[in-house]
Amino acid sequence: MLKVENLSAGYSGIEVIKGVNFCIGSSEIVLILGPNGTGKSTFLKSLFKLADIYSGKIWFFGKDITQFLTHQIIDFGISYVPQGRPVFSQLTVLENLEMGFWLFSDRFNLGKSLERVFQEFPVLEAKKHLPANSLSGGEQQMLAISRALMQHPKLILLDEPSLGLSPKLSKQIFSKLVKLKQQNLSIILVEQNARGAAEIADRICIFVDGQIGLEGDRELLRDPRVKELYLGGL
Amino acid sequence: MIFAQLLINSLITGAIYALVASGFSIIYSVCKFVHFAHGAVITVAGYFLYFLYVRLGFNFYFAASLTVLFASLLGASLNLTIYKKLRTKKSSSAILLLASVGLLIFLESFALLLMGADVKTLNFIPVSKGLKILGAVITPLQVVVILASLIVLVLTYVLMKQTKLGKAMRAVADNKDLAEIVGVSAEKIYNWSFLLGSSIAGIAGILVSLEHNLEPTMGTSLMIKGFAAAVIGGMDSVAGSILGAFLLGFLENLGGWFFPSAYKEAIAFAALLTFLLFRPHGILGSKS
Repeated sequence: MLKVENLSAGYSGIEVIKGVNFCIGSSEIVLILGPNGTGKSTFLKSLFKLADIYSGKIWFFGKDITQFLTHQIIDFGISYVPQGRPVFSQLTVLENLEMGFWLFSDRFNLGKSLERVFQEFPVLEAKKHLPANSLSGGEQQMLAISRALMQHPKLILLDEPSLGLSPKLSKQIFSKLVKLKQQNLSIILVEQNARGAAEIADRICIFVDGQIGLEGDRELLRDPRVKELYLGGL
Repeated sequence: MIFAQLLINSLITGAIYALVASGFSIIYSVCKFVHFAHGAVITVAGYFLYFLYVRLGFNFYFAASLTVLFASLLGASLNLTIYKKLRTKKSSSAILLLASVGLLIFLESFALLLMGADVKTLNFIPVSKGLKILGAVITPLQVVVILASLIVLVLTYVLMKQTKLGKAMRAVADNKDLAEIVGVSAEKIYNWSFLLGSSIAGIAGILVSLEHNLEPTMGTSLMIKGFAAAVIGGMDSVAGSILGAFLLGFLENLGGWFFPSAYKEAIAFAALLTFLLFRPHGILGSKS
């Protein structure tokens, strides 16, 4: 569904992504690993047009989306959950979800979309009138994912959802992602927590200096080259 | 009895300050820079009303409605022609602040040039004998000022809490980058915050010119009070800035009881400095 050809991207003239070729099919989770500073987050941002694209092409369902803007890309069915705890902290849970719905109010029914999200994350329904900053870290991450789901996406770009969460909570989030995948959603997942994330991934790409250095299935983590990458030498 | 009078006077002062501070604080919380030219929008709105009502002889309510519309468009056009250009050049909010001070001086000088320095009066509701409430005197005009101000503040609150636009403004105020990620265009919301904030400035301009006289520099002195009120209440909290405005109104009138009236202006600054030193985020503002 998404195909990236020879993509170079970065910020204010500095190339961070240097010629990436990548693709993801429907109902697939692709995990992106790699040491810090190798351009994993920038790759997600460039797909969402939050980084400058210098060359290359991005195709989504056969349509060239390289030149489109962020809100148009959301419209096509790609949603992005950035790193950290990306919620509107002063707004209530419900208002956060409504903000996710911003571009879609004339196309989908708000009540039904909320119902679908609350079914997936019942804890959010119980706290829907509380401000987002009163939620725990795990709940805030769930809220961020739910806000993306309000956009009825076909592909979610997820940047380190397990950051700062306990192993148990990370596992919970990961199992939710598997459930979403079964509902015909594709996910590009950037993670530091390699082992936990690898369990749910269909494929793994390892970024090295702005390029995909290694690619394979979850057995890839046993490859001795991976260890070398993380320890700095090639 | 004196206390009742004090309260009523504070309410009148506070009501005007609250209008100034709330419009200013909406723009500040959404756009994250200090828009001092907000004061000039109030002045220009006052003169616009004077021009329509006194010079051209328009019906007052029609002229007042046009004034609100005019103020709203004036604020938005300042945003589009000056501030937006500076933002696309990635200017810091300090540069925007400097530009806003420049605009304040420019617009007030422009009003002076067009309308002259002499004091103007609207005389729509002539000063009449006051009503007595609990031994305190209040004129019908002052009742109108307080009521109009309260209605505007309540409507603003409802707009910010209940409408789609209000929620988007709060979302941009909360986290602009995240708002862009869910597809809200921050520039559009900035513009809406100027339209809304400046229309409140227009209403403030109308009420001030009814209650006091029109002078070219009135926007500057109101802006100083509005700014002090916003800092006291918490710059990024609209509710806080309204609270700060009423508190400042009360402090000024209380001070007027003990000190000669010449010290009245000093009270706002004393309160401003006290808060900046001991509680810089204000009563309700967030600490960051």
